[in-house]
Amino acid sequence: MNLLSLALAAALIAGGATAASAQTTAEAGPFPVTGNVPNLCAAGTLTGGGTAFDLGILSNESTGRMRRDLEATPKILTAAYCSTASTITIEATPLESVNNTNAPPPGFSRRIDYSATASGWTNVAAVYDTGSTSNPAATQSRATAFQGDITVSIGTFSTNGGDILRLVADPAYQGIVTVTLAATT
Amino acid sequence: MRASTILAILLPLVPASAHAQSTTTSDTRTFTVNGSVPGTCAVGPPTLAPGSQNNFRGLNGSTLQIDQLVDTTTLSTKAASIDVRFDSICTFPHRLMIESQNNGLWRTSERSSTPPEGFGYAVPYRALVRWARESLRLNADATIRRIADSSVFVRGSAIGDIELRLEIDSGSTNEAANAPLLAGVYGDTIRITLEPQ
Repeated sequence: MNLLSLALAAALIAGGATAASAQTTAEAGPFPVTGNVPNLCAAGTLTGGGTAFDLGILSNESTGRMRRDLEATPKILTAAYCSTASTITIEATPLESVNNTNAPPPGFSRRIDYSATASGWTNVAAVYDTGSTSNPAATQSRATAFQGDITVSIGTFSTNGGDILRLVADPAYQGIVTVTLAATT
Repeated sequence: MRASTILAILLPLVPASAHAQSTTTSDTRTFTVNGSVPGTCAVGPPTLAPGSQNNFRGLNGSTLQIDQLVDTTTLSTKAASIDVRFDSICTFPHRLMIESQNNGLWRTSERSSTPPEGFGYAVPYRALVRWARESLRLNADATIRRIADSSVFVRGSAIGDIELRLEIDSGSTNEAANAPLLAGVYGDTIRITLEPQ
């Protein structure tokens, strides 16, 4: 049985040589060449200080009410990019007293609302207002790949319950701002 | 002779299942927003409670002036009273204190002279304070010229008016009741303090 197989193989090789000598064209292919670039987003490198918006003292020491001149230096996320269409989403939690968590007495508040904005990525900036129950502008879309800087800022501060209210004393008031860059296809 | 060459290019092939789904990659940055609210106690300027003046001329800045300290028929003290409010706030647990510098209305001149017997030369009064559901009473009895004070602890934050009522009784002096008063200018200084604890 093994002898028979070897003989057949030899015949096939010999037959091939005969065809070449007769100028017969042989062709293989086409062979598709494929690759893949995954959807990828990176939110860039933070500049403009650390990750904290430090507002300092929040209250007017003579009135006990929220200062009207609160401001914080914006944060810059440099060289952010997305390799495809994307969305940018900003979310925030209000500034609330960390240690003094009891319900504030009449005339007082323990919460400051504000708006957080992410601009530079889309034509319309993404904005989240912690005092609003609905924030449809918090997510903005971009139809093309892009690279650039994202500016994250906070502003439009107001005392929850009304600016007539005083703020309860607490050495630590804290809120969180989150910016998410997401690829979409 | 035409020869075909097979060119092998090795690529990391994406599984078919990956082509079929929509891949999404995201990146998130988180920031904190920080601030602080120090304890604050503040007492605003005095204002008169409407309709509260009895024998007081009113308020001039932070000075209360009695209209007629002496009853012209008895030559002794004429009754007087007034209510004053102070818009105030304290964002800490605190102590409310009222202090009389002289423990009564004393003559501000001729202090070295010996008063003649039978005459009064100081006038006692009461100070009643209400603040944040607490009340305070100071009897400036004019027995001795000294600092007199009274205080109360207030739990928690408070906001609103400190209500101060001053009362001078008819005929009250540091000597016998209804004793005539020596001529002169009488006065005292009252301090109200909210002190964080």
